[in-house]
Amino acid sequence: MKIISYFKKEQWSPYVAGAGLGLVGILGVFLADTLLGASGAFENIAGSIGQAIAPAAFDNMYFNFVMPPGLSNGVVLLIGTFFGGTLGALSAGTFKFRTNDNEQWNKVMGKKTWKRWLLLFIGAVIVEYGAGIAGGCTSGLAISGGMLLAPAAFVFIAGMFMSGIVVARIIYGNKY
Amino acid sequence: MTIVIILLVGVAFGFLLNKSGMTKYNVIVNAFRFTDMSVLKFMLTALMVAMSGLYLLKMLGLVVFPGIPATYLAGNLIGGLIFGMGMALAGF
Repeated sequence: MKIISYFKKEQWSPYVAGAGLGLVGILGVFLADTLLGASGAFENIAGSIGQAIAPAAFDNMYFNFVMPPGLSNGVVLLIGTFFGGTLGALSAGTFKFRTNDNEQWNKVMGKKTWKRWLLLFIGAVIVEYGAGIAGGCTSGLAISGGMLLAPAAFVFIAGMFMSGIVVARIIYGNKY
Repeated sequence: MTIVIILLVGVAFGFLLNKSGMTKYNVIVNAFRFTDMSVLKFMLTALMVAMSGLYLLKMLGLVVFPGIPATYLAGNLIGGLIFGMGMALAGF
């Protein structure tokens, strides 16, 4: 009974969740020979849409060989991730469609929903662009690469924190 | 069968991300302000468990590592810098 009630809590200790993620990563490699990752899946989807709309523009080396368009393992993983998050929110009772709910954001930048969505969109474009250059996002490169001890992962984490700290300083100014 | 396992791995991944709070703006941004260390605790615990487990399995000869991400020093670093900008802005 205690385990069930632990599942229903909204926020787990990061240590427990981290240990769980480590186990999941090991199982992924062991059972299905696949690594975690999210940004690769988005690039596959973008490649599919791009090839349908404007084949000439998307016919360069990146989209043909490095990130082939279509349904790859990464896309299946992404679909699973989406449902997993939904499951997590449902089990804690926090599932609802929200447009602008975060208190800290509202304190810093005001309550306008369009502002949040605009910065979210811009931030997401930057994130995916950076992930394309680096060869992965946090889950694909930092965690999956890190657990295989690839040096690329640690260089990526260093870069991520460097610029993240600078930008957070800029945004938060003297409320830092 | 492999596809089903991949799907389940994804479900578990998303579930843990949600439960650990990594999907909230304040958790991610506060990591960069050094007030909320959950991101580092989460990532490093996962790395420790996964590293030890994987290399143990490799020593026992039970797994072969799939493609290790290639190391391009400039590419990874610049990509990481750009990535951090977006992460601090959007919070995901």
